Amino acid sequence: MALLSILDREHSIAGEHYSRWLVPPAALAIHLSIGQVYAFSVFNLPLSHAIGIKDSAPGDWKLSTIGWLFSVAIVFLGVSAALFGRWLEHAGPREAMFVSALCFGGGFEVGALGVATHQFWLVLLGYGVLGGIGLGIGYISPVSTLIKWFPDRPGMATGLAIMGFGGGAMIASPLSTMLMSHFRSPTSTGVAPTFAAMGLLYFLFMMFGVFTVRVPRRDWQPPGWQRSEKSRPLVTTGNVTADRAITTPQFWLLWAVLCLNVTAGIGVLGQASPMIQEMFSGSISANAAAGFVGLLSLANMGGRFVWSSFSDYIGRKGVYATFFLLGAALYAVVPSTGRAGNVVLFVAGYVVIISMYGGGFATIPAYLRDLFGTVQVGAIHGRLLTAWSTAGVLGPVLVNYIREYQIVHGVAKADAYTTTMHIMAALLVVGFICNLLVKPVDDRHLTTEQPAASTAALA
Amino acid sequence: MSATHSSGNRSHRRGASIGLAVRVAAAWGLVGVPLAWGVWQVFQKSLDLFR
Repeated sequence: MALLSILDREHSIAGEHYSRWLVPPAALAIHLSIGQVYAFSVFNLPLSHAIGIKDSAPGDWKLSTIGWLFSVAIVFLGVSAALFGRWLEHAGPREAMFVSALCFGGGFEVGALGVATHQFWLVLLGYGVLGGIGLGIGYISPVSTLIKWFPDRPGMATGLAIMGFGGGAMIASPLSTMLMSHFRSPTSTGVAPTFAAMGLLYFLFMMFGVFTVRVPRRDWQPPGWQRSEKSRPLVTTGNVTADRAITTPQFWLLWAVLCLNVTAGIGVLGQASPMIQEMFSGSISANAAAGFVGLLSLANMGGRFVWSSFSDYIGRKGVYATFFLLGAALYAVVPSTGRAGNVVLFVAGYVVIISMYGGGFATIPAYLRDLFGTVQVGAIHGRLLTAWSTAGVLGPVLVNYIREYQIVHGVAKADAYTTTMHIMAALLVVGFICNLLVKPVDDRHLTTEQPAASTAALA
Repeated sequence: MSATHSSGNRSHRRGASIGLAVRVAAAWGLVGVPLAWGVWQVFQKSLDLFR
């Protein structure tokens, strides 16, 4: 237990010779690892051939069954972020990152055992449940620490970390393919040893984050920085607890803002490959469509950093207003560039749309900090992420069902996307109204509780 | 004696500051290199779109 005490908040307080610029790479190590979840689909086909190797054989898992692994992981991400947020504020980022690494890396190892013995429940328990808990705790673990280290640029700081979640898939996808090729044999698809190797690699990489992150002393401020005396609209000077925050209309307005922004984006991401192939039938190959999906991943990652950094200058409300207005306009217009056969404009339109999808994720922690203060911003962020889980179901369901309904009623496949995109534009208009309604939090919600940092350092 | 002590302090501070800069650069390199590799892989694939 004494060994584990080095992970707690009191033992993570930064000394004099520590640079705050070490915190973003520590956070990135966590987010780049857990971002692997977005690349899980590379395992779908090999997992469905685990017995037959080249093709599916009797007893092999169906693709629809394997799809549950990703869904369960995302559900557990949302649930664990909401449940463990308050514990994280108390335990500190280092302990939370360590638990996240154990769960995420361990989840891969349990999953490897499940694949090797062909026990689906074991894979579900490992990657879905254990891995999903690792995802949730890991996702929120560095957020409040970054906000405390960068009071002058909270949007940029959280954008840097959350950018890693978007970029993780870019590393995981080619890495998984390479490892599976290496371990493949006439009697194995190579998934089980790939899972085992990735679990170990990610655990070690996350340990770098665990031992690099530090929390600032309570009285610490960036050298030369003075908290602005001039009050800024929406930015609170007090703090609100997580329990109290969820009773405020501001929390639920932001919940709707995140949910609507993600619903619109996730719908496009899930359909990107078939959409571009059907809209430019005959001129876009499956390989080129994969390139389109890759560009959207880049936009998703870049948007997280660029938009959240921009929010430090124009404010969070201004950035979300831009997302919703520009997004609605683009969703309404971009399908017509497809009908006109203009690939470049079509791709550019969706790149901007997906950059705003990513930007929405990265800007929300700073928005929460503006409204509710820093005391329990990690816990509040965790609870808000249930909006993501909701959107994760809502977005694909909306896109798939509307499209299928239209095709059944005789609409051409290429045209079926137009109505879907117009519905997404309408959702963004609703999001714009919710964002417009966000007002400063009433003083009666403020708490006198102090940040759970560094009492030892003050002594 | 005091001048020697002060100069020793300055050099110790400079050494610590260089050490910290190296540590920060190494930390960014550790996360930046795999990320850059991933971005390059995606970029190469996306070229097919405009060929």
